[in-house]
Amino acid sequence: MGATVRLVPVQEAYEDLLNRTLSRISCNLGRLIYLASTRDYNTGNYYHEGLASRFSPEVARKALEIAHQQAFYKVSAFSLEDLASDLEAYLRSSRENPQQFLRAWQKLEPYRVAIPTEANLTVARLFASNLRLALAILRFRQERSH
Amino acid sequence: MIGTSSALIGAVVLLVVILVWIRADLRSRHLPSVLDQWLPDQGEAAEVCPPEFVSQIFSGQDLRFISRLESPDLKRHFLRERRAVALLWVQQTSAAIRRIMRRHLEASRLSADIEFATEARIFLQYTQLRLICCLLILLIELAGPQRLHGMALYTDRLTQRIGDVLREFASGARLREMDGA
Repeated sequence: MGATVRLVPVQEAYEDLLNRTLSRISCNLGRLIYLASTRDYNTGNYYHEGLASRFSPEVARKALEIAHQQAFYKVSAFSLEDLASDLEAYLRSSRENPQQFLRAWQKLEPYRVAIPTEANLTVARLFASNLRLALAILRFRQERSH
Repeated sequence: MIGTSSALIGAVVLLVVILVWIRADLRSRHLPSVLDQWLPDQGEAAEVCPPEFVSQIFSGQDLRFISRLESPDLKRHFLRERRAVALLWVQQTSAAIRRIMRRHLEASRLSADIEFATEARIFLQYTQLRLICCLLILLIELAGPQRLHGMALYTDRLTQRIGDVLREFASGARLREMDGA
């Protein structure tokens, strides 16, 4: 019974997060990067001010953690073709210079922080490997078009 | 003369197999990235890779997409990356099987009624899985993961089955202990 009582607000907070925040982000990679950014680098805990005030910090933390896991597994399951398209949409939404963006992402690998702490090791490697390849594909297309 | 030639050919083949094995093992330990330093701790991470990802790693879909781009460099890059991920999966699976078997042996030592037939079947499945994992490491290096889709899925199913059998065995042993107490 206790677990049921606890799960209901988490479900509500999760739906709130989907409807108010995540639905406004146009691509799956953008949603994943956003969710990863709500995690504190020092503690690994998630925090979202609006969600914490509407529910509670603990419920918000759990909802963010679940949403992050789901977004991560969704992007990791993409075929390379779909991931390259999603990355391209993310690049366009960032409004940065495409060449600079690709160079920075290839060099700094900022997508590393998007991996949840409890992710399966093989899936985490597949995710990072596919992103490296998607970046190489976009760069190849860019060079070929010039 | 024929005997000496056969022995020489055999020795060369064995040497090549050993070299491929060592290369595959080294490759799976050192992936081409700085990721090794920060990835989640393997002990804490989810133990078993979900089957849909096993299918994806060994599928030919991405290779067909890359081939359409007609870039030899991209294709080489893709094959290197996917091979490393496939080798990591084999290592992770192999480690999971060892861990499951170790837990089973610890539970068996404490159990009063051990059935020889069940133990023999579990041991045979365990040996079969370990052999398949060794074979997979060699074949991934020689042929690439895309040609091993069926074998990888079979290994994954067998790993799950042995895990289920041992979980049932452990819960049965606990029930018997409770009945005896």
